[in-house]
Amino acid sequence: MRAPNWYLLISLLSGLVWASSSQPALSGELEALKHELEQMKQSMEALQERIKRLEAMPAPAAQSVAQPPAASPPTPGGAQPSIAELARPREPFSLYERRGPGQLLFDIGIVGDLVGNVVQRSVEAAQGGTFAGRENRFFPREVEVNLFGRIDPYAEGRVRFEFAEEFEDGQRATETKLAEAHLTLLTLPFGTKLSMGQLPVRFGLLSHLHREALPQPDPPQVLLRFFGEEQFRESGLELAWLPPLPFYLEALLGVFNGDNEVAFGRGSLKDPLLTGRLRTFFDLGESGAIQVGLSGATGETGEGRRSILAGFDAKYKLTPVGWRHTLFTLAGEAIYSNRRVDVLGDPDGDGVETILDTQTWEGFGWYAYGEIQPWKRWAAGVRYDWTQFPADPGSEWALEPYLAFMPSDFLRFRLGYKHAERSRNLTRSQSGGSAGISDEILFQATFFLGAHQPHPF
Amino acid sequence: MNLRRIYLACFISVVASWLEPALSEAANIRVVATLPDLKALTEAVGGDLVEVESLARGDQNAHDIEVRPSLMLRLRRADLVVRNGLGLDFWAEPLIAGAHNPKILPGAAGYVDASRLVPVLGVPTGKLDRSLGDVHPEGDPHFTLDPLMAPQVTANILEGLARVAPQQAGLLESRRKEFLDRLQEALERWQKMLAPFKGTRVVTYHDNRLYFLRRFGLELAGTVEDKPGIPPSPAHLAGLMRKMKEQKVPLLIADPFSDRKVAELVAKEGGAKLLILPPAVGGAKGVVSYLDLFEYTVAALIQALR
Repeated sequence: MRAPNWYLLISLLSGLVWASSSQPALSGELEALKHELEQMKQSMEALQERIKRLEAMPAPAAQSVAQPPAASPPTPGGAQPSIAELARPREPFSLYERRGPGQLLFDIGIVGDLVGNVVQRSVEAAQGGTFAGRENRFFPREVEVNLFGRIDPYAEGRVRFEFAEEFEDGQRATETKLAEAHLTLLTLPFGTKLSMGQLPVRFGLLSHLHREALPQPDPPQVLLRFFGEEQFRESGLELAWLPPLPFYLEALLGVFNGDNEVAFGRGSLKDPLLTGRLRTFFDLGESGAIQVGLSGATGETGEGRRSILAGFDAKYKLTPVGWRHTLFTLAGEAIYSNRRVDVLGDPDGDGVETILDTQTWEGFGWYAYGEIQPWKRWAAGVRYDWTQFPADPGSEWALEPYLAFMPSDFLRFRLGYKHAERSRNLTRSQSGGSAGISDEILFQATFFLGAHQPHPF
Repeated sequence: MNLRRIYLACFISVVASWLEPALSEAANIRVVATLPDLKALTEAVGGDLVEVESLARGDQNAHDIEVRPSLMLRLRRADLVVRNGLGLDFWAEPLIAGAHNPKILPGAAGYVDASRLVPVLGVPTGKLDRSLGDVHPEGDPHFTLDPLMAPQVTANILEGLARVAPQQAGLLESRRKEFLDRLQEALERWQKMLAPFKGTRVVTYHDNRLYFLRRFGLELAGTVEDKPGIPPSPAHLAGLMRKMKEQKVPLLIADPFSDRKVAELVAKEGGAKLLILPPAVGGAKGVVSYLDLFEYTVAALIQALR
């Protein structure tokens, strides 16, 4: 048979290449061992010499306890050691003992993201504001406790708990949830990393970011409509590969349950959600940089129907030479949705709805924003949203200028005004309100305590 | 067997081995240093045996480096990464994680903490939180601005290089010794040149020159930034300017990225000269090596203090 021989050949050849590339590593290890043995031999000889000299000295007279070696090098007024003296091997007891973070073996950070909004009463009645069910309120949108660090030489882990005021089934309540719990294997071959657990799916530019890391007080409408307020979080596996190319290209491949009920909902590995992303990045001189990405996801809805998402995103940043922060950011993202939707009806009038037909719904949405930060502590920007609804007719658009003030890297305030208009289909609710046109003032305060990793590009 | 498939398999293997070249005796050691001073010290030890890149430039504020994927690309190919170790290059952590290079992960053979066994100044005592600003809880990380730290830092770098290229260990050690001999000669000369100014009180913009001032006998009268990373309050600036006048502080040292308007105001009102000094190798024209950094700085200081 041809096929097995073909695969056998590739495997053998790959094994040969792999073995040959390991040869230098093996001989390198041998050399390292030889070098260490040589050093140990020299140290032992030096110690033996010292012992001989000490034994040959006369017994010392009684003297006061010698001062322990200074914890820091001598002051400028005293005799300073020369470079040659410092270059000789020294006992480490005279040097500073490290203390500080990391002694707990992992990092702890807390982020508090507080938001407020003021909106028309009609929009509040329709629960049609940006924070549905929490219109005209100030509340903790998300307080997260992050625990992260290295598990061992091979893996790192992250656990994140979230506390938030949410609105569900007509009720507001403070919810506690496990937002993330995953480990990442760091030492896999061929430049790959594997993450597994409950993790944010890296689809597009913003859907995987923690809400406090979003560039505006609220997420773009397309993300809210296509993924829901919970964003795109799933449980499963994600493989990341950085191929050895002369330019940056990251490839991601994910296999998940499909728990996100807005976009998918099947929730089973028997019909898994598959995701993929390609991200590339280019420096444009010393000041500019651009990132471009393509994303895809295919899975099943809770009704067992196929749902497909495709996305394109781009981000440009300008940091003039000598500046300590980015001056200008321009970014945008477009998402296309294609899903099979059951058309329900009650043809025989018995009060029981049945599936009459299955149709394909296509939806499209995009956003773009620009932000300028002329001073380290002040930034201003504007975002434009336009989106259809992935499984319903109609569309909406929104324009949101905003202002940000950052007294430090750990404290930030934002103020935004959002004007949104929606098609007539979504303007009514059971309480009689109307969210066809909404004008909101959005306020956000965010603080960081403890360890906080730098934000990505 | 189909010959075309055999040729394709061979081609794939050849391409794969080209894309992932092993470290051979003839190949240079690819090193990525997070900061330009560490790059310079690595070059001093490694010479033509190493190819070194720095993630940060000398004219950048080391605290504010942007996490760019292109920096991950440099780390992707590295045999060794040299880090500051005291938090100055905290932004390198996601870069190292995103580089998908197990050789340079913390704890791996290709990971060097340059601060290991370095006697650290400025370790905060007492209650430690961010009311003190963006403090470095492990101590002042700007230790490369003291030439007498070079022996320990280069020893740490040498250890790392010897781990990844043990066959070169002997040669690297002799290059290190050669560099340290040159540095010793130069240090004695610099100290003689600055000896007339011993005890002179200076103000710095950021608290990043403690090691340098201590080594060369100058004293720190105060800093423009009273809390690191936090813009100074008007009250603090007023107090500083008053102190500078009272103590006749002759000099305010700032970095190329310091707020020039604030620096000029404080210098003018405080009766001092403003001197912009490179904070690291590459921070000024002609400062391309570790020795150049001190040659430039000492010459500029002498000119400003005369």
